[in-house]
Amino acid sequence: MALTRRALLGGSAAAAALGLAGCSGLTPGRDPGGTLDYWNLFGGGDGVRMTQMLDGYRATHPGIDLSAVTLAWGNPYYTKLSLATLGDKPPDVGIAHLTRAKTLISAGLLEELRPEDLARHGMQATNFSERPWQAGLVGGKAYAIPLDTHPFVMFYNTDVCAKAGLLDSSGALLPLDSPEKFTEAMRKAKDVTKGYGGVVAIDNDVATPWRIFQSLYAQLQGEVLADEGRKVVLDDAKGTQVLDFLQGLTKQNLVPGSIDYQGAIAVFANGQSGFYFQGEWEISTFQTAKLPFSMALFPNVFGGNRYAVQADSHTLVIPRRPGRDQAGLDRSLAFIRALLDQSKTWAEGGHVPAWVPLRDSPEYRAMTPQSNYAAAVEGASYDPEGWYSGSGSTYEIVMSAAIGSVLGNRSTPAAALSAMRSNLTSLAKTASPV
Amino acid sequence: MTVEARVKLFNRICAGVLIAFALLWLTPLLWALDTALKPNAETTRTTWAVQDPNVQAFARILRDTDIVRWFGSSLFIATLTALGTVLTASLAAFALSRMRFRYRTLVFWFVLAGIMIPSQVLIVPQFREMDSFNLLNTFWAVSLPQIPTAVAVFIFKQFFDGLPRELQEVARLDGAGYLRIYGRIIMPLARPAVAAVVIFAFVTSWNDLLWPLLVLSNPDIMTMPVGLATVQGSFGIRYADTMASALLGAVPLVAVFLLFQRNIVEGIAGSGLKG
Amino acid sequence: MTAETAVRRTDASQTTEAPPREWGHGLPAAGFLTPFLLLYLLFIIGPALYGLTMSFFNTSAVKPGLNSFAGFGNYAEALQSSDFWSSLWHTFWFTILTTPPLIVLALVFALLADRVGRGRWFFRLAFFVPYILPSAVVALIWMWIYTPGLGLIEAALTKIGPTSPNWLGDPGWAMPSLAMTTLWWTLGFNFVLYLAGLQEIPRELYEASAMDGAGPWQQIRSITVPLLGRTTTLVAVLQVIASLKVFDQMYIMTSGGPDFATRSILQYVYDSGFTNFRIGYASAVSMLFFLVVLAVSALWFTLVRRGEKEL
Repeated sequence: MALTRRALLGGSAAAAALGLAGCSGLTPGRDPGGTLDYWNLFGGGDGVRMTQMLDGYRATHPGIDLSAVTLAWGNPYYTKLSLATLGDKPPDVGIAHLTRAKTLISAGLLEELRPEDLARHGMQATNFSERPWQAGLVGGKAYAIPLDTHPFVMFYNTDVCAKAGLLDSSGALLPLDSPEKFTEAMRKAKDVTKGYGGVVAIDNDVATPWRIFQSLYAQLQGEVLADEGRKVVLDDAKGTQVLDFLQGLTKQNLVPGSIDYQGAIAVFANGQSGFYFQGEWEISTFQTAKLPFSMALFPNVFGGNRYAVQADSHTLVIPRRPGRDQAGLDRSLAFIRALLDQSKTWAEGGHVPAWVPLRDSPEYRAMTPQSNYAAAVEGASYDPEGWYSGSGSTYEIVMSAAIGSVLGNRSTPAAALSAMRSNLTSLAKTASPV
Repeated sequence: MTVEARVKLFNRICAGVLIAFALLWLTPLLWALDTALKPNAETTRTTWAVQDPNVQAFARILRDTDIVRWFGSSLFIATLTALGTVLTASLAAFALSRMRFRYRTLVFWFVLAGIMIPSQVLIVPQFREMDSFNLLNTFWAVSLPQIPTAVAVFIFKQFFDGLPRELQEVARLDGAGYLRIYGRIIMPLARPAVAAVVIFAFVTSWNDLLWPLLVLSNPDIMTMPVGLATVQGSFGIRYADTMASALLGAVPLVAVFLLFQRNIVEGIAGSGLKG
Repeated sequence: MTAETAVRRTDASQTTEAPPREWGHGLPAAGFLTPFLLLYLLFIIGPALYGLTMSFFNTSAVKPGLNSFAGFGNYAEALQSSDFWSSLWHTFWFTILTTPPLIVLALVFALLADRVGRGRWFFRLAFFVPYILPSAVVALIWMWIYTPGLGLIEAALTKIGPTSPNWLGDPGWAMPSLAMTTLWWTLGFNFVLYLAGLQEIPRELYEASAMDGAGPWQQIRSITVPLLGRTTTLVAVLQVIASLKVFDQMYIMTSGGPDFATRSILQYVYDSGFTNFRIGYASAVSMLFFLVVLAVSALWFTLVRRGEKEL
């Protein structure tokens, strides 16, 4: 029980504080105590790592009563976070996807993080990867501290790929940088597994179909929304090209056309497919399963010399609450800093760290397969701006539904594109509620 | 075959069919229990056999989640709601059934109109209202809107109408005030109606999801259903843990049911048939 | 005027009587009514009117006040929105899928239990316990049963032969799967209502018909089922109204997916109002939903009136 654990920590607080007082140089001098509520949406391996980081924080800040809560991912989480902020009972610190923080900011639900406050805790723009930091600014002001960038990546079974002749002499995966090479690799892998070449979650999934579509569509430099979501600029030719390509994979049964998130994991984990496409966070799942696998950038199928891939960043935000005092703000910022300092733990879970001191360290470069795809940060394609957009948003749900129906051969690319357009147009026409 | 033998055979077949269905109905619960007793890793094989039955999943849930606290919230809210409903509805019904006053019919129809408004239609304005009262994330926000239940007034009024008038007249002659008649004579006689309304209000409140989901966004004070629905995502593929949490969430009401089986069933049958 | 005479006058049926002249009981009556009426006005009538007002404004969840006036804009948008109509249709589809089996199976089980006589506690336990479980518990258990590759139903089906669909993952199967879960969950309520109804049928009727040589099947057809008519009407109405308000199962088990195939009208209200912050629009949808419920209730009322005239 949380209560007993807290009581225990409280009891040993005095003793621990004495022992650790010397090494708390990162926090401004003292540890004034108090409570800290923190919300996140991490399940699976991310959840396990976040718990480790929280334990790390508890160890260095024994005087603070930290209560951490994990909520259901996606819209339910953001609905809860917004409602709690409206109800004046938000957490002190919360996780928000960079693309969702945008809407929360325009709704006035987040505190601005002023440079002087950040500086007190040793944080400034140059400490963070440029892409996520810049992408998170609104009107030049910071509201969200990026913890990572999490691109869509490619997992591959090294045994299967070796047998299929897809590895070069050094054991690296041969490039799959054209539709033909990609499809051929799937076919070869399928010949080995006797099941599928690759697998991607489709059914009942509000995000994954969008992720794979957007990665390819962004490689063609396609745009979906403009003018902060007030205009739909979907490109039919590029969209058709991507959807035709994806549908071809499921039509030839190289990729299963009907499978959900857990099912897709199971197929890859059981060696029934050579490739698996998802955000890098599933790394822990396959490490636990003791699968012979590695990870690489999602292939540059359509991009030529310009790389792009769907990505988002987890950021740390401070929801607005009346009567927050300076001490409370500092406690929250110190907590954020403490999590950034444990970026290595976080990076082990697959995420590309945004914290430059780790990103540029040899320590990180030595981490494989995690550092294999660090370059994805430069090509990161975030969801377009709009009050209905962002990770797990109505936008992604609408897009995923249409894309999923093409992957599952339940509709044609043309029908899916027109469904996307009509749904997006009605959202675009709606006056922004924020 | 004689008629008697035929009837006997028919009854046997009936019993057989019914038992088969009853077992089928129990299967999901038994399967949940079976899963919860397995270690998480063992749940990836679909078999009833448990290699190493243990209650660690239950222990983990009790230790790692706030389920005990959710139980407390649910208990407090459901009790408050049930008592509030019985008290306000029976008082109002007493006035409507036993007292003469101007606009009585009007008031009665006004209350009856409330039956037509499904509470779900009101979530949006009620949320705003709670927001402006600064009651969000409090037990009051959950309980207060559930207390005024038009159906409960109707059930009580029906019941009071059926009680003999003479009781009241005798008491009246003895100089008893209305409050005494209500408290000493009518309510003790209305025990079946009270039971029906208490059970109805308690179970409805305990199982409600939509409204508490909206107003309790802080996990510290969530009710059991909201808590279970909220954290289910964090279990991932730990199916034994998920089932343990579900069963722990089921235990309180099942226990209440087993204790008061007769009252609950009769209460529901009675209120349903009258309402 | 004494209390006695006043009390006596109430004996007659209340609706036809002219309102009494005297004020004598107004004050105590007001005292008895106040707690209920206060909460009723504050939390039912007030919000109903407030919701109606907001439905004409572009009210936002994250902005104070009503925001700009929208006229009938929200209503027009809802009526033109395919999302609104599809969620309304999903709600009806759910109602259609659940109501007939919930009535027929509950009746059959109650008839069987009545005939078997013994062990009624066991049947009551088996059928009624699911009903008292919170929706979240039911949802968690059934999500596990439906899990592709690991689920109990898939395993059972594979043993018999047919390949199992992806219950919650296939847009065509998701709603029937939710209906099946709901059947399991709420059948007990109807079962109990039918058992109670059966007990009100006089035994003599059966004895008399048995003397006339009627077999058990004939008795059920000619005596039991017709006499349960009132119960059946009640069960049907409660069932339809409850189905129209469906939210929990979808919210937890499918979040309205896949492809929005299971988003009910209430979830549409929730999504529009609290995820998209469009409180004004969500209020308009609520009002439209209210009209639907009223229409269904009115339909039922007319049917019952007609039925009672025939009796």
